[in-house]
Amino acid sequence: MASRSLLQFLSGFSRPAVGNASLRLFSSTSVCRATLQTHNVIERAPSPWTLMAAVCLQRLPVISADCSPIEQQFRQMMHQMEQEKSLLSDHELQLLEDAERMSRKQADDYDSDREDDHGDQEIVLAQDLEDSWEQKMKSFQPALRVTADADQDLTSSERCLADSLVLLAEQQVGGEPLWLLPQARWQEGETLRQTAERALASLPAGLKATFLGNAPCGVYKFKLPQAARTESTVGTKVFFFKAVLSDCGGPPAGPGGPLLWAKKGELRRYLKPAYMTKVDRFVLGL
Amino acid sequence: MSAALSRGLCRALSRHTAPSSLLLGGHHRAGLSPWFAPVMTLKTSAPLRAEPKKKKKVDPRREHMLKERMRKKLKKMEKVAPEFIPLDDLITPTKCLDETRERSAPRLSFGESEGRALLLKEWCRYKQEQHMAEVQAVELALEAQREALEELKLESEELYQAALKPDPLLFPFTHEGPAYTPPKSKYEAPDGKYNDITKVYTQ
Repeated sequence: MASRSLLQFLSGFSRPAVGNASLRLFSSTSVCRATLQTHNVIERAPSPWTLMAAVCLQRLPVISADCSPIEQQFRQMMHQMEQEKSLLSDHELQLLEDAERMSRKQADDYDSDREDDHGDQEIVLAQDLEDSWEQKMKSFQPALRVTADADQDLTSSERCLADSLVLLAEQQVGGEPLWLLPQARWQEGETLRQTAERALASLPAGLKATFLGNAPCGVYKFKLPQAARTESTVGTKVFFFKAVLSDCGGPPAGPGGPLLWAKKGELRRYLKPAYMTKVDRFVLGL
Repeated sequence: MSAALSRGLCRALSRHTAPSSLLLGGHHRAGLSPWFAPVMTLKTSAPLRAEPKKKKKVDPRREHMLKERMRKKLKKMEKVAPEFIPLDDLITPTKCLDETRERSAPRLSFGESEGRALLLKEWCRYKQEQHMAEVQAVELALEAQREALEELKLESEELYQAALKPDPLLFPFTHEGPAYTPPKSKYEAPDGKYNDITKVYTQ
């Protein structure tokens, strides 16, 4: 018993001795400190969170949005005000001159010699010019702004050209298919942005995107239910990276999980509530 | 004949001056220099004897200096400050000052002018709300990013450092903005000719 207590006493001594040694090492040069720190890092247990990176791919609007009622009213008013304050243009002056000349021709005492005439040239009236311009414009058919069919098709990236769309994919998470931003698991030796690029490349459609920077724009922490928790995994952390769609080339739909293009308002229908609150913050609905 | 006379006269004068100078030399007083010959005798100094003038070394240098100074002054006077390039946008073209171009100002009824004022105020409020919403949205996004970076730092230091690095390939970044109608596939734009009449100024 005494020996045991002696052993305990000695072990008690040895621990602070080790502590003292580490303190002495700390007080020496910074190089030693750095090496000690890296030593500590290597010694630290690997974090219990599994890292994943997801890509928030956005197709930015292609056409300008429709004006709200107040915007329409204001636009009309501004147009009127600007016209009132403006000066007559060359074309308008020409129109007035032509109208005057016509009225003079119609008058009874018309004297064609008095006119500072243009000889035998045919006078092109400004009104005729206007008509010919209108004809030319009518012959051009612009593409339609809103196509009801395309809007309904959730998988096409041509829907709702006036809003920005976010890509969603249905992936298997914990055995269940869930709608979420396309994600991939982080592997050793690559940065998180490379993981996100891999996640985008793994999708069936050949989408080309420009990633906006190396830093993640959001994070979502998910703790596994108590039953599934082990010593090494407590949950997952998903880091989101923003990307802008640059080219929609490649086959429109291929094998693999279904894809969706959703507006910000429609995200609520597909994403889980907790996930939605995190994603809602960085997807700008401007 | 006249030349012989002048020569004779010169010789006589020189004969005269020589004994006079000797006499002067004999009656030398303190202060008298050989330059100050008495008024009575004809001055026969070097210029009269028509000898070639000896050039002093200092003169050419002085002349050179004078010329340099004159040249520098001329250069300074010639240097004019470069004219400013006129800004075409800020010059009102004379066409706009033509009186025949003025529109007749329409008379607005009281109701209309009131309506306009009220619409302007509503627009002001609408725009302010829009702006505040924008600012809030941007702040939320920044907050989300800050949280993400914090979480990443807790995870691993090297991934955090890699995330902080700037991306050199991102800029220059261009994106075609929204137009009124979407682009037409397989549209052939007609060829157009144009004459570029922009004025190019050189200073």
